[in-house]
Amino acid sequence: MKKFFAFMLILALSAGICFADEAKLKSTSQLKTEKLAAQRGTVGQFIAEDLLGDKKGTLLTTYEKYVDAIAALRQGKVRAVIMDEMPAKRFLNEVDGLTIMSEPMSEENYAIGFRKGNTELVNAVNKALSEMKADGTMDAIFAKYLNGDYSSIKPEDIDFNKGAKGGKLFVGTEAGFAPYELKVGTGYIGIDVEMCAAIAKKLDRELVIENMNFDALPMAVSTNKVDMICAGITVTDERKENMDFSDNYVVGAKQVAVVRADDYEK
Amino acid sequence: MKSKRYEGAGRGDVLLWIAGLALLYLLWDSGFFTAAAWQDFNRRFYQNFIKDSRYMMLVDGLKSTIFMTSGATVIGVIVGLILSVIRVAHKGGVHIPVLNKLAETYITVLRGTPAMVQLLIWNFTIFASARDLNTQYIAILAFGLNSGAYVAEIFRGGIESIDAGQMEAARSLGLTYGSSMRHVILPQALRNVVPMLFNEFIALLKETSIAGYIGIDDLTRAGQNIQALTLEHSQPLVMVAIIYLVIVLLLTKLVSKLEQWLSRGRRG
Repeated sequence: MKKFFAFMLILALSAGICFADEAKLKSTSQLKTEKLAAQRGTVGQFIAEDLLGDKKGTLLTTYEKYVDAIAALRQGKVRAVIMDEMPAKRFLNEVDGLTIMSEPMSEENYAIGFRKGNTELVNAVNKALSEMKADGTMDAIFAKYLNGDYSSIKPEDIDFNKGAKGGKLFVGTEAGFAPYELKVGTGYIGIDVEMCAAIAKKLDRELVIENMNFDALPMAVSTNKVDMICAGITVTDERKENMDFSDNYVVGAKQVAVVRADDYEK
Repeated sequence: MKSKRYEGAGRGDVLLWIAGLALLYLLWDSGFFTAAAWQDFNRRFYQNFIKDSRYMMLVDGLKSTIFMTSGATVIGVIVGLILSVIRVAHKGGVHIPVLNKLAETYITVLRGTPAMVQLLIWNFTIFASARDLNTQYIAILAFGLNSGAYVAEIFRGGIESIDAGQMEAARSLGLTYGSSMRHVILPQALRNVVPMLFNEFIALLKETSIAGYIGIDDLTRAGQNIQALTLEHSQPLVMVAIIYLVIVLLLTKLVSKLEQWLSRGRRG
């Protein structure tokens, strides 16, 4: 057993030494034949699948969390991570040696997801959303998170409307997607969280956040585990078949390819 | 399992030493031991664990992990004991074919499917509409019932390890099957299985790391939450691994002490 481990260790070391240099990336069209990563169940995964076609089985790796995908990128396990632009920018701020390819992969709209046929709640939320768009509430929430520094935003300052008469509003999310949702200590902050809090207030209900994995969200809303899911969810035709969506609250959010800075030539 | 004693340096040890030294050299070569790297390590450590009392996220996660593990162990032991007694009694001539079949099916199904799949089914299918129920209780139930199937086999092994002559002697003294079981067989069997139950507790402790899938912030998930905050990959995970390891080592130590204590005064 010990011999085996020693052998494996030497093998791993020599593999590390013999790592070969490759030509740098220039445009997103090159990504068709490269190893890519995305967070499981996200639009980034769908884009990468379309891009790779038949080769997706061997070239695409999907991870449970963005942090894992970015780690794989930094370690050279993949050449690019396909993800949403705003969270990608946050990674660039916090982590050295990464950059975003200048051409976006696609543009998307975000909306809140509901169980198919839950028209009553969809309508109520749409009404709340249009009021919040009109009276500047939405703009104020987006402005708060624009500069990429959330250290001054405290979860306890967000009003979850505790003890509301209308009962609880269960919202499923995946709190690793700043600036939209992020777990801080024992609470949550983010654009989606503040927006849902404002919606809950308008519906006279108490907001309850259920933090789960992104790929579990559609299941949670369709089995009625939560009333709605709000996690920077892109509206796609495929998803529309399985759930209902509110009106868009983010229009034109870009999907981008994150790559290593030393692996990219503009 | 008894730990193997160190038996001098073999060829494997020499290889391991060479590999270890090569690894050290590579680390040194890549600037791992420089002052800058140390400062960077400290800065990241501060970011991950100290700033805004982020270590409290790990502490809360650990509480949740221990709470779930303890609860699941209690359920597991109760369920396991019932199942094993049914199976052993059936084998010993008590006529309970339906109960026995049920117990057998239970053990087959719960041991034959991954705990992760069971957890998801409990949360998203069986308890789909239970919203106000704390998800941790669902996890305790899922892990406990799963563990029960394994504990049943542990108990059965323990009971069957008691010499058949004990039962025959008890019965010939006029005790019923039930009281022979309760007063003669089970006390001896328990003594044999207690260390294995602790091992089951240790296994459960590690198994609860999948609870994050149904949205519970256990120790593993707490590490992932810190990752999402600081966008740093290695330190939170390594810290989580160290915490698990320390607890498991402490428990293992406890089990070996317990084994010694249980085997005191045993004729042999």
